[in-house]
Amino acid sequence: MITTNNLTKIYGEQKALDQLNLRVNQGEIYCLLGANGAGKTTTINLLLGFIKPTSGIALIDNMSVHQNSQETKKKLAYIPENLMLYSSLTAIENLDYFSGISKKEFSKSELETFLIDAGLQKEVFNKRISTFSKGMRQKVGIAIALAKDAKALLLDEPTSGLDPKASNEFGLLLQKLCKKGVATLMATHDLFRAKEVATSIGIMKDGKLKEQFKGDKISLSKLEKVYLNTMDYKS
Amino acid sequence: MITKTFIKEIKEMVRDGRVKLSFLIVIILLGVTLWIRIGHYQNINEQYKNATITEREVWNGQGEKNPHSAAHFGTYAFKPKYPLSLIDQGVDKYVGISIFLEAHKRNESQFSAAADQTGLGRFGDLSPDFILLFIIPLLIILLGFNSFTKEREMGTLKLLKSLGINNWKWMIGKWISLFFPIFIISSVLFLTSGILLFNLNDFGIFNWSSLLWLFLIYICYYIVFINIVLFVSIKAKKSGISLVILLSIWIISCLAAPKAASNIAESKYHYPTKQEFNTMIMKDKRNGLDGHNPWSKQAILLEKKVLKEYGVDSLNQLPFNFTAYRTQIGEEHEAEVYFKHYKYLREQYNQQTNIYKSLAIISPYLPTRFLSMAISNTDYATHWDFSDSAENYRIKTQKFLNDNTAQNTKFGERGYKAKADFWKKLPAFNYNPPKLNNILIQNKSNLIILGAWIIFSFGLFLFNSKKI
Amino acid sequence: MLKYNFKYELKFLLRSRWIQLLYIILLIVFGFSVFNGKQKVDKIKNTIVAAEKQVKENDIMMLKLIDSIEQGYKVSVPRWTVPTNPMAIGNYHPRVAAMKPLQLSFISTGQADLYTSYIKPTVSADDYALNFTEMTSPIQLLFGSFDLAFVIVYLIPLLIIAFSFNVFSSEKERGSLRLIASQPIQINIWLLQKLGLRFFWLSIIFISTITIILLIVSSEIFLQPRIYITLLALTLAYMFFWFVLAFIINIWVGSSANNAVALIGLWIIFVLLVPSVLNQLGNTIYPMPSRTLMINEMRAKKLEVTEKQDEILDNFLRDHPEYATNDPSQTTGFYHRYIASQKLIKEEMKPLVNTFENQLKNQQNLTRSLKWISPALIMQESLNKLAGNSTEDYENYRIQVINFAETWREYLNTFLFNNLDFSTNDYINLPKFEMIRDKFSVTSAILTLLLISISLLLPGLVFLNKDFYFDE
Repeated sequence: MITTNNLTKIYGEQKALDQLNLRVNQGEIYCLLGANGAGKTTTINLLLGFIKPTSGIALIDNMSVHQNSQETKKKLAYIPENLMLYSSLTAIENLDYFSGISKKEFSKSELETFLIDAGLQKEVFNKRISTFSKGMRQKVGIAIALAKDAKALLLDEPTSGLDPKASNEFGLLLQKLCKKGVATLMATHDLFRAKEVATSIGIMKDGKLKEQFKGDKISLSKLEKVYLNTMDYKS
Repeated sequence: MITKTFIKEIKEMVRDGRVKLSFLIVIILLGVTLWIRIGHYQNINEQYKNATITEREVWNGQGEKNPHSAAHFGTYAFKPKYPLSLIDQGVDKYVGISIFLEAHKRNESQFSAAADQTGLGRFGDLSPDFILLFIIPLLIILLGFNSFTKEREMGTLKLLKSLGINNWKWMIGKWISLFFPIFIISSVLFLTSGILLFNLNDFGIFNWSSLLWLFLIYICYYIVFINIVLFVSIKAKKSGISLVILLSIWIISCLAAPKAASNIAESKYHYPTKQEFNTMIMKDKRNGLDGHNPWSKQAILLEKKVLKEYGVDSLNQLPFNFTAYRTQIGEEHEAEVYFKHYKYLREQYNQQTNIYKSLAIISPYLPTRFLSMAISNTDYATHWDFSDSAENYRIKTQKFLNDNTAQNTKFGERGYKAKADFWKKLPAFNYNPPKLNNILIQNKSNLIILGAWIIFSFGLFLFNSKKI
Repeated sequence: MLKYNFKYELKFLLRSRWIQLLYIILLIVFGFSVFNGKQKVDKIKNTIVAAEKQVKENDIMMLKLIDSIEQGYKVSVPRWTVPTNPMAIGNYHPRVAAMKPLQLSFISTGQADLYTSYIKPTVSADDYALNFTEMTSPIQLLFGSFDLAFVIVYLIPLLIIAFSFNVFSSEKERGSLRLIASQPIQINIWLLQKLGLRFFWLSIIFISTITIILLIVSSEIFLQPRIYITLLALTLAYMFFWFVLAFIINIWVGSSANNAVALIGLWIIFVLLVPSVLNQLGNTIYPMPSRTLMINEMRAKKLEVTEKQDEILDNFLRDHPEYATNDPSQTTGFYHRYIASQKLIKEEMKPLVNTFENQLKNQQNLTRSLKWISPALIMQESLNKLAGNSTEDYENYRIQVINFAETWREYLNTFLFNNLDFSTNDYINLPKFEMIRDKFSVTSAILTLLLISISLLLPGLVFLNKDFYFDE
């Protein structure tokens, strides 16, 4: 569902992303680990079509993101690191707006179902977003993804700044989506959460994918060791 | 702490392309406007000199002529241009450049430059005062609107606070770093104009202390703006909001308040129209003595009074020509009528001035504008002064001419002509504008208002140190 | 997308109190400016009415006097004001030559504070010395007037700037743009819709507030809906221009602060700098000759003329046989010589006086050909035209008054030079002044504004269907 072939992005002299080959199938959660500047966010931006690749290709459902950006955007949902919704609108209004502008209209009860599925409590549906915590905003983000019936989910540091409980809830939610056949690519620093939810884990450094594991094949302490070794290794 | 902040702020400014660009634009504009004004000033002064000399030659060359004919022929008083009009041309373009001085009539000054311009002229001129009064405050806003908000937005504010900085010193450092570039730019402008004016030929009454005062006034004006800008920057949550608030303040104080003040002044204490004014004067004149009409009631009364005074029973026995005497008394009556009506105008103008002063509460622009014009000798008061002194000269001229007829002719004698060299004896019209000291005393209240603005704005700014 | 943008933009504007704020601001500034304008126009109207009434009253007295004289009674007025004397009529019973305000005069003061609204030209006054300036405090002239034109030309663009400078950048800065951009929509079209909706709402607010104010202050305007609609169309076209500018700046420039600075910079250029630069340009290319030198020249001529008045009169009568009296026993008096001299001076001064008029015309033409550089200028000029207070209107008035003064003089001179008395029968033939206004239309101004806006919008629209990238 989410594929990159030799994806490369060069800013001036600097290679932000170097020949990246990734593949995330339906029902998979792929966690990208790596230091700041390793190329995680660049990968997500390229998959979203926010930036142009220098070479290589990014594919969503076997369609090139840069040739069919509208089509691929229909299939994916994205939750940025700090999800900012419209603070003067309520949760349900935000959901209505974001699905509405991409030509998906829902009745009020349908919208409420999405919010419930995303794990948001009913009492806050009609509260303004300005009163929401980050975890609650992310749930609205998931609801937007649900409403869109997204096949691919791109997450940028979704658990940073969440308290452990909210982080755990978020992980469970992802696994629920995963069972529905959504392909998820998640960039994160959170080794623990990655180990918990991922079906696959990749470690990036200097724009390159250095290591790849199956999520269930590695223990947390092993993962940490490999991660630190990769970071220390001078290329 | 203060110097560290100062150096950091100046470095930030120097590295900011936006600041460099706007600085450059302001300097170019100032240069261009100064250059335009100098040419204009020299040109006008040359015309003034020639006109005065030529007009005097015309007057002197009247040949043999009846003095009262000469009074009707009249003469012109021309208004000179003063050196500091280079910096602030004030209301100069809206008031006439010359006054026709003739018998029986006080004329308004004629031929204002604005009347000879297209509607474009009403948008304002490219002159240093435009830059000084409007653009530099904008520059201050541009340089300082994010002075504090940027620290908040970048999070450096928290960092600084955690270091336990002294708010006062920090704020003073910021203040100085905003004041410094503005001070430099205005000093350069004033120094350049001073040197230019000093080196111009016939710079007349230019004196450095007026220029220095003008400079001080503008510096005060900028200090008020700097305080307000920094105050808003402390209070505002975001740079964008700070900018919008400051621009609104700028619009209100520099554009809206003066216009609103002028409308309120106009509707509360309006001038009569020119025609109404003339009609009122005509009415009053008619009620008094008409120097040309021997049959009017007033004339007959005067005749009786004079005969009684001299103890004679016929006008022929008087030691002077009664007709000329009557003309002179008529002239004096008319002068009084004019005096009365101009006094009314002046009262209206004073009332209007009070309105401008009361609106200065919402606009530091107003006291600055008035002080700047006053010191540059381009304000309305200077024009009044000029017009009054021309009127005095007119009255003296009439007396000079009528006395000549009264002394050299007998009653009933017609066709008297003064000698060709008589005209030269009339002293030339000479006008000196108010001295700097008098101007400052006259504008005491404006000085006080500007001073109050400084104190008030410093208060706003400094007493917020705890709120950062 | 439009439906949802519409629904939620409105919610946003209401909740952030933008709409309420704009309503209040516009009601206050429109109210104040229209009220002021109306007051000024009423004052002008009243003075004209009073002047005309006074002339009428004087005429009744004058006719009575003439009647008494014609019946052979003796009258007790000074010799030179006896109304059977045509020069007395010409000097002491002048007509009112008024420039009456138009229906929309209150929207813009224009040159109305600078020039007088009526004049009573007499036979002995010099044309070029006819003083057309009004007695206004120069401070008022300097500061200008808080009229509707000021609100529209100066303030509305600033409201638009404040209303739209960060429509795009604030989303970018808050981060919500990333979420929007991940939706299958064209970002530029989305932005265009957002700004378009703000234009729509501001237009609604503008139309409703101005209508309310006009209903209260000057409801008679609705009797002529065309004028009202023209005013609305013109203003909307101007507002459209500023929204287009905001759209372009939103696309091209980055952060909110930079957008604001760029838009304010453009505002200063269009509203303050371009007009004064054009004014300066006009004065430099077509400089006005010096008025002081004109006075000098006129004075020298007068002196010359007074010395040889008899000779001038002879020449004059030779050139104008229609004035030469057929009765050789009649003598010529002061006025004969005076009128003849005046005519001579006028003719000799004509080339110089014409240079003033020509230079002013040249300056006006220059402005006309360059005014498209600044929409603010187009707007101010059009509003002045609608108000009938533009420079051209007063120029037109001036020319008509001078022509009327000539007619007035000619008419009475015929009596003077034929030594005829003015009689009651001649009264109805006295020339009357009626100002004829030029036909004008602001359609071309509206079209120019739209053309400028669209030609600015086109390059923006080219980008519309392009993909949006964050880093380029």
